[in-house]
Amino acid sequence: MALKLSIGQYWPGTSLLHRLDPRAKVACAILMMVSVFFIRSLAQLGFAWACALALVLVSRVPLRKVLSSIKPIVFMLTLLSVCNLLLVKTGDVLVQFGPLVITTGSAWAALLYPLRLVVAVIVAALLLLTTTPTELTDAFDAGLAPLARFGLPAHELAMVFSLMLRFIPTIADETQAILDAQTSRGGALAEGSPLRRVKAVVPVVVALLASSTRHANNLSRALDARCYVGGAARSHWHPLHMERRDWVALAMTAAYVGCLLALSLVG
Amino acid sequence: MQAGSNSSAACQGSSCSQSKTAVHGLTGACGTVAGAVCAGDTAAGAVCAGHDPLIALDDVTLRYGDDVTALSHVNLAVASGERICVLGANGSGKSTLASVIAGLLAPDEGTVSLVGRTVCRDGQPDFEAYGHARRKIGLVFQNPDDQIVTSIVEEDVAFGPENLCLPPDEIGRRVERELARVAMGDYARSDPSRLSGGQKQRVAIAGALAMEPEVLVLDEPGALLDVRGRRGIMRVMAGLRAQGTTIIHITHFMEEALAADRVLVMDHGRIMFDGGPPEVFSHCDELLALGLELPFTARLSAELRVHGFDVPWTCDDEELREALAPQCACTRAGHASAAEADGLPQERVPSDQTGRTTTTGGAPQGNPACTVERVSYSYNDDGGRRALEDISFGVSRGSSVAIVGQTGSGKSTLVRLLCALEVPDAGRIVVDGIDTARKRDRRLLHGRIGYVMQHPERQLFAETVLEDVAYGPRNMGLSPDEVRARCARALELVGLTGREDASPFTLSGGQQRLCAIAGVLAMEPKVLVLDEPMAGLDPHGRAQLEQILSDVLAAGTTSIRVTHSMDDAAKADQVIVLAQARLLMRGTPEEVYAPTHEAELHRAGLGLPAATRWALALGLDAAPLTMSALVRELSRTRAVAARLGSGLSDAAEGGDEHGA
Repeated sequence: MALKLSIGQYWPGTSLLHRLDPRAKVACAILMMVSVFFIRSLAQLGFAWACALALVLVSRVPLRKVLSSIKPIVFMLTLLSVCNLLLVKTGDVLVQFGPLVITTGSAWAALLYPLRLVVAVIVAALLLLTTTPTELTDAFDAGLAPLARFGLPAHELAMVFSLMLRFIPTIADETQAILDAQTSRGGALAEGSPLRRVKAVVPVVVALLASSTRHANNLSRALDARCYVGGAARSHWHPLHMERRDWVALAMTAAYVGCLLALSLVG
Repeated sequence: MQAGSNSSAACQGSSCSQSKTAVHGLTGACGTVAGAVCAGDTAAGAVCAGHDPLIALDDVTLRYGDDVTALSHVNLAVASGERICVLGANGSGKSTLASVIAGLLAPDEGTVSLVGRTVCRDGQPDFEAYGHARRKIGLVFQNPDDQIVTSIVEEDVAFGPENLCLPPDEIGRRVERELARVAMGDYARSDPSRLSGGQKQRVAIAGALAMEPEVLVLDEPGALLDVRGRRGIMRVMAGLRAQGTTIIHITHFMEEALAADRVLVMDHGRIMFDGGPPEVFSHCDELLALGLELPFTARLSAELRVHGFDVPWTCDDEELREALAPQCACTRAGHASAAEADGLPQERVPSDQTGRTTTTGGAPQGNPACTVERVSYSYNDDGGRRALEDISFGVSRGSSVAIVGQTGSGKSTLVRLLCALEVPDAGRIVVDGIDTARKRDRRLLHGRIGYVMQHPERQLFAETVLEDVAYGPRNMGLSPDEVRARCARALELVGLTGREDASPFTLSGGQQRLCAIAGVLAMEPKVLVLDEPMAGLDPHGRAQLEQILSDVLAAGTTSIRVTHSMDDAAKADQVIVLAQARLLMRGTPEEVYAPTHEAELHRAGLGLPAATRWALALGLDAAPLTMSALVRELSRTRAVAARLGSGLSDAAEGGDEHGA
């Protein structure tokens, strides 16, 4: 299906990345993702890329799978790259093509910004590919737990997050089915003026909303039937324990960020 | 059971209807079980000897809002270990009953006891008791997608036990045990959204069973599944019954009720019949009037009796077969020679066909409505998995085609290609003279092929029925007068005239489907493509839609229908069988459903129509596709046997007469 999204598409495995405590994993991933914004030199970019690729190897997730899950975002980043190329005007002029000017500054921006973001995207993709939604929810829960003291429904938010991951493929399939039905009834969803297109979306969006409401109603029945009570104590099949490898992972991530900063001093 | 006084029909003894009238507390409830016993259930009787019922509903009434009464003075007692099947038309209150038994809905009036606790006394719910009772009751319902809460199969099964605060090693044991029970052990780490409907539903059952419920309530678990999926669910249920789990099974499939100990029939929120399956199904006319039907065996035995066969009325396969066997000595050799001597035209079935046969039967002559030539297609996101491979067939104008195949065989993809929603990778599809690959003709094509998707009610969006139906014709650019005329015709065809100004979302489930179909019919397509149009409908809804579709066909529209039902497929002019993205067989129903194909169809997750299966089991030489053909064939065989045996020629004439 054209609309199939790769968010939450867990890739079953037993690699080191799969076995990490989700809390440690999420913390490491967030550190790595934030640290891409320190990248300003070629050396840093190379180092970050090397580490990201090494992580892909460690995860034992097939490269094809990683690529397909980052593809949509890479496409957007390519657009960003083209914009940078055409709009940034700093540095020396390299090529001039009528009103189009490419400068050293714009070429560097077109390369650096998307490439460093791809590192973050790869890390995020690996996190989702090696962590089950339940684990993610647990990590999310643990991360928000301190805020629960101030009245934030941490666990409920985590549950909503998990259900969202679960229902993305279902809703995507349903969207496709409704799109098909309305298209075959002559709904012009991909042609005509922008106004026409916006109008043509109404039959799809309304039908989809009705359908999502139905899902929500049924889901609440299912949650009731399985004795889920918001805010009540639950046990965990796989209770979380930080082990040595989790602390090592955190330490290595800290070292990675340190190296990245050190390289910026060198560069 | 004052309300269900009709159920005195189920309870033939007058003494037992007395015992049903008042149920106060547990002793009275036990009396209700006794009522069930006299309706023909020995299992319940044994239980009544000393135990309290597991579930007791005493004069329960439940309303939605002010005007909809979903349950009306219902009395019910379920003994531990019983397997109960609940039948009834849409809107009869079955699902509400399931919710009440599952402890999810409290009634407005009456007393409910669940697994030994009184959870609601005279309409006053005790929420704490409900909370405790729910821990002992599992619920599985129609749409498996809505019941699975995580993206990993085993994590989902663990969800319930986690809510019960069980220790981790106990959870692990239960997850493993229940996945093995529903034969999903190999899929423990899979993503549920990648599983078939039947597999998902089995995961949902495992999730309910992992909480070790004393009662399992299944609310139409097979409604959205294919034949194999339903068979799997029935197998799981039989295993549970053997282990003593109490089962409440709500279904639209009468055949499934035969496996139950006790059958309840509901109508307008009341229990109309309550008894063993043979007892309940003996009320043929009443059941038909309630919008239900009878199991195939029951209908067959009734039909045979009409035709003068000396068989008992029964819904038991074995019993009917044994009664039939001596009457038509169905030795193949004797039958074949005798039939020729009889001068009757014999339905010859090409018996030499084996394996991947593609017959020419049902192929179009002249100007076809639709041709598919060597079409292949693969989805690019799934590692290039082939969804269709080298498919060819033609459809002649005004004919009907059935596409069968189990989930994942490529049926839905084929339908999307036919409707020009996707273009084949190789080969071509021509519909009404237009190649679907030509983009600029796409709009024209959408006007000529009507596509009724699976669960078409999901496409409804407009504020009124009329607006929704008019969406297609308006998009075709027709004049307002023409649009109005077409909508009126389409609404009349589906029987929704007079509901033009209603919101489509306030219609009943069956009406919503008809409204969506009217939206497609209003475009007056030349070719109508339907993807499992009957899924989830009750017998009455199925019959109604069948009538509408046959009217459409009679008006000259070509119809292509994806179906799970071999009996429905047997009524088409041409049957196309898909298996693993390939065309397995194609031909007239007689050719495809030849007895020699049984093993191959079975491998493809399909089977033969019920009538053909019966003929095969009785050793008949012919392969009738419908019940009337089967009865005709049996009459002839009997006549021949009689003539060969004793030379009574008048018997033979009698047989012919009935066959005509």
